[in-house]
Amino acid sequence: MNYFISGGCKNGKSFHAQRVAKKMSEENGLPLYYIATMIPIDEEDNIRIDRHISERAGWGFETIEQPVNILGCLDKIDNKGVFLFDSVTALLMNEMFPVSGEPNLGAAKKIAKELEEFCSRTDNTVFVSDYIYSDCNKFDDLTDKYREGLALLDKTLAKACGQVVEVAYGFTKVHK
Amino acid sequence: MILIFGGAFQGKLEYVMEKYKLEDNQVFTCKGDKIEIDYSKKIIDNLEEFVYVCTKEGVEAKEILLENMGKLKDKIIICDDISQGVVSLDKTERAWREMVGRTMLMLGKESEEVIRIFCGLPDKIK
Repeated sequence: MNYFISGGCKNGKSFHAQRVAKKMSEENGLPLYYIATMIPIDEEDNIRIDRHISERAGWGFETIEQPVNILGCLDKIDNKGVFLFDSVTALLMNEMFPVSGEPNLGAAKKIAKELEEFCSRTDNTVFVSDYIYSDCNKFDDLTDKYREGLALLDKTLAKACGQVVEVAYGFTKVHK
Repeated sequence: MILIFGGAFQGKLEYVMEKYKLEDNQVFTCKGDKIEIDYSKKIIDNLEEFVYVCTKEGVEAKEILLENMGKLKDKIIICDDISQGVVSLDKTERAWREMVGRTMLMLGKESEEVIRIFCGLPDKIK
């Protein structure tokens, strides 16, 4: 069953997701893959990635780099494995705002279709996203387009996944 | 009165339209430039924008709504939850966040039903 996790930043979502994925893999005797979506652009990013790698050490994940075109990784690995997909937020960032080039405003619609396919082809994926919708700022158009796009992906996944969980400071609220 | 809230773009209006089988012409969408609500419509959407104009004009939104409570009894009110981000550097936005909080506390108390929408999924709170 696919599993969708969201909530505020630095609330323990990734840790919860790791535990869910690990359990799914152990119970069904399936290989465990970590889909790495982040494209590091500076030293700060490298430090964050190193911290995430050390946090996953010993959990048994094989890391697959797939920062864009998410279905690409399914051609390379066993689709019946367990996937930890962290995060939907970074994937949209990578495709909507390519490092070189203009913003791609059609990115969210494209990714929504790909995520639906990812769900049906794997059926053992834990998705992590970020709940960034309750600020009191009047954002610029591009930021709002990004929030709207991420919300589309979240709603698509909440519909497609069998379980939907919100994490708040390590506590979980089951929505589905 | 039914109160629906949740973060931006969470599918609040879509949820209401589908659940209560309503048409677009039954929705009043609050705009950020005029203190105005059309009480003849079934749904009052984007209430946070109504509160935003009230904030700019220095009027307490809660008071206007309380004065018109009789007309709000059979309505569905939809409002963005703007309470959980970073405190804004902008004075109006800070005051807006506080006024939305006061308005929502009052509406939550007055409503028979309160539903929070999370990523398109309803969570009945009251």
